[in-house]
Amino acid sequence: MPHGYDTEIAIRVDDVHLALGDDPPLAVLAGVDLEACAGEVTAIIGPSGCGKSTLLDVIAGLVVPDSGSVVTASSGRPVLMPQRDALMPWRTLRDNVAAAAELRGTPRGDAQALADREVARVGLAGFGDHYPHALSGGMRQRGALARTLLAESDIWLLDEPFGALDALTRSEMHRVLMAVREQVAPTIVLVTHEIAEAVAIADSVLVASPGPMRIVSRMRVADAGPDAAHEVLASLRAAGVAA
Amino acid sequence: MTTVPQVEPALPAAAAPRRPRIRWGQVAAAVALPLALVLVWQISAWIMQPREWILPSPATIARTGWDVRERLWHHAQWTMLITVVGFALATVVGCLLAALIARSRVAGLMLYPWIIVSQTIPLVALAPLLVLWMPEFGAMVTLAALISIFPVIVAGVDGLRSTDPELIRAVRTLGASPGWTWWHVRVPAALPRLFTGLRLAAVFAVTGAVVGELVASDRGLGALTRLSAGQFETPVTFAAVVILALIGIAMFLIVAVAEWAALPYLRRGTRPGSR
Repeated sequence: MPHGYDTEIAIRVDDVHLALGDDPPLAVLAGVDLEACAGEVTAIIGPSGCGKSTLLDVIAGLVVPDSGSVVTASSGRPVLMPQRDALMPWRTLRDNVAAAAELRGTPRGDAQALADREVARVGLAGFGDHYPHALSGGMRQRGALARTLLAESDIWLLDEPFGALDALTRSEMHRVLMAVREQVAPTIVLVTHEIAEAVAIADSVLVASPGPMRIVSRMRVADAGPDAAHEVLASLRAAGVAA
Repeated sequence: MTTVPQVEPALPAAAAPRRPRIRWGQVAAAVALPLALVLVWQISAWIMQPREWILPSPATIARTGWDVRERLWHHAQWTMLITVVGFALATVVGCLLAALIARSRVAGLMLYPWIIVSQTIPLVALAPLLVLWMPEFGAMVTLAALISIFPVIVAGVDGLRSTDPELIRAVRTLGASPGWTWWHVRVPAALPRLFTGLRLAAVFAVTGAVVGELVASDRGLGALTRLSAGQFETPVTFAAVVILALIGIAMFLIVAVAEWAALPYLRRGTRPGSR
């Protein structure tokens, strides 16, 4: 489907079908089409349990779809940032962030130095030696963001990354994410169930149906102007989501 | 190192973690109960003067224990050796079995139910058979290992199966291989539970060694309790029991110290709000 904007496409998902489990298999993705423009934030909004996280797994290459295709214009693999920070409790913040570089084959010492750099970038300088449980929820998400940065991927898949945070911390994390994005300009696919979050961060908003999931409408936030949130809400209602 | 523009001003630095200090009040609370019991026992013995071979006083036990210290030490060495070797065997074999059960569905189906069923057998009853089949040392070690392996396997399997799936998902997109995920995510995630099982196993190993000696051996503190009670050397029996308790406590503490060293992130001083 042509998106009609003069930007390079970084992710193209074409008619992806997927059923999970057996006896009987449960259809999770029912013909998902999606395009994400390079360097933009594409938000997918939909009800809980509709298959958004599974879609990210498919884009990340963790799950192979039954049919359809996923093409990413990324040099490396997409990197996923899950809802809970997913830091390893037994590693210090520095070692958690450094894992991203270690897994690319960087020697441990260099990985640590690189990790310190990213930790400082997200405002956590001086906290490298702390274990995750000694940090607040917001700080742990900053740590996860630092690890995502160090993965040096062009494509970031954010799975409700701020869903577990309180409203104040969440808006602070939005600011941090936007500031980071200014520097490294990744293509971001953001899964959320918060209309305000989608409209605040994203360039495009895709509305997903309740499972099995399809994309039922798409919208450019800039085109919609101040009515963006209302349009998303209307689309969600039309899709049968009691929003 | 290149300088990177910070997108964020650094958050105010955290306070340095406080050094743990010994709280004497808590130590006193912990030892108050046994001390009080010994005191009550001693006073009752003074007042009621029970016959020594029925209930010796704590003072008599301590004096006799000191007099027969070489005999006690001779038997204690044997028991400690069996306990430690049995526990080590249970740890190694238990961890291997737990890994096998957690990794392979087939192994899980084939082994796990039978390992649980095996616990319904009173293992004490096996002691005479084990002595029949192998040298005494091997039989005692096997019994100690059989009794202490169960908590290792159960805790290990539980731990290995309890890994946070989000964590695995995150490291896989960072390029982690299944091998990396096993050694750097699943195994460390299982350690806290495994150590809970090991602490139980350490104490069970003492029980296993003693039961073996009690039933089918002439060496070790278990055998000493049987022999001395049979000859009405009751103070010696009590002294042996006290030393067995100390061995059990020592085993527990050794595992607790290993846990403290292996899992620095669970130390109280590193936790928020801990004092």
